[in-house]
Amino acid sequence: MARLEVIRGGRIELAGPSTGPSGAPGTGLLEELYRRHAAMVLGRCRYLLGDRDAAQDAAQEVFVSALRALQEFQGASSPTAWLLRVATNHCLNVRRAGRAAWPAELATLSRDRRERGIEPDTRELVRALLSAAPAEAQEIAVLYFVDELTQVEIAETTGRSLPTIRKRLREFLGAARAALAEAIPGLALPDPEVLP
Amino acid sequence: MTTLSLGGPGVACSVTRLRRLAAGELSGDERSRLEAHLDGCARCQQAAAGLEAERRTLAADLPFEAFAAGVAEQLARAQARPPGRAWRRVVPLALAAGLVAAVAAPLLSTLHREGPRVGGDDGTRIKGGAAVQLLVREGSGARVLLPGEPVPAGAALRLTLSPARRTWVAVALVDEDGPALLHAGPASPGPLAEPFEWTGRRGRLVVVLGDRPIDGASLLGRLVAGDPDPAGPAASLDVLVLPLLRGAP
Repeated sequence: MARLEVIRGGRIELAGPSTGPSGAPGTGLLEELYRRHAAMVLGRCRYLLGDRDAAQDAAQEVFVSALRALQEFQGASSPTAWLLRVATNHCLNVRRAGRAAWPAELATLSRDRRERGIEPDTRELVRALLSAAPAEAQEIAVLYFVDELTQVEIAETTGRSLPTIRKRLREFLGAARAALAEAIPGLALPDPEVLP
Repeated sequence: MTTLSLGGPGVACSVTRLRRLAAGELSGDERSRLEAHLDGCARCQQAAAGLEAERRTLAADLPFEAFAAGVAEQLARAQARPPGRAWRRVVPLALAAGLVAAVAAPLLSTLHREGPRVGGDDGTRIKGGAAVQLLVREGSGARVLLPGEPVPAGAALRLTLSPARRTWVAVALVDEDGPALLHAGPASPGPLAEPFEWTGRRGRLVVVLGDRPIDGASLLGRLVAGDPDPAGPAASLDVLVLPLLRGAP
């Protein structure tokens, strides 16, 4: 065990092995978190917020949340899933607090399809449709369509019942269908009852 | 009418499982099955390429040093304003610019001329190395708070640093309410972070200097625990401690 001793006015050396739990040389807690999870968290924040600077701020806030709830984070069955949920909910809150940009995003996707024949990118379409849905359904939609968790896995991750997860997915798809009918006519969404 | 797919989990495909594999959270059969599946699944290989692109974006946009500094800043800000604990504040104050320019610089110049001293009882300097002093605003200027001198009530305080050859620094306040991170980032000569007010009764400022970014979170963890924790930089560190004492009312 390396130990840090605080010595008034003195110089200290860390004794013991210089490797962290992962074997990486000199790995501190924050560096370990960065190495394992920061790319994922930043990617999630960039996906949901779009803006590069806002995404960096948000990603750092997510890690502050993790450090302030370190026991809960480290005790999670999947720290990856824990961090992704925190990042997703943080960014969804930021989106809800900001200007509603999704009608403009849908309009852009619609124009690209109409004028240039470009079919909407699946992830971009989901992002544009998120804000059309009720708040409770947004996180579930991200977990299902972006993180590719099954409904059973979402129920386990969120602690909600399977019928509740199905209900939230139906709410998302219902809102998305209405938004799409107006913005991109001629496109339909899958029946929620047949989703795995 | 064209029916769109919005994505979602496949029979054996899930980007979250790939993330967990990359983070080292899978083991045994689960890991072996996923690795075998990945070898033959174009969809998962594409998803894995997407994760690799995320790592490149991170390295380009937010290298560790910038990330650590940002996290430390936000952590310090969050811990400086604990809800419902108004009795113990570390409040950034808007001090006059003269506090830094006119007072701190001459103090540091004096220190350099005198040269470093062997670590003395006040614990604020290291032989051949870094030194730190605490300034207290007084009128339109500032003066050095002497070792053992009580911190005046309502005083605006600011640390000044002479890092010698050290390049990174973290500062934590420890008092009756536990530790709080005040600053973490590159070490440069002069005033550190923002002015603050301390309302505790007895405490200390712990200044840690090193040649790599100081992991503020680990530092806090060690201070909370009294010292021990394996998570920390492997290089040697310098530690300076300034006792804080409240005077009799």
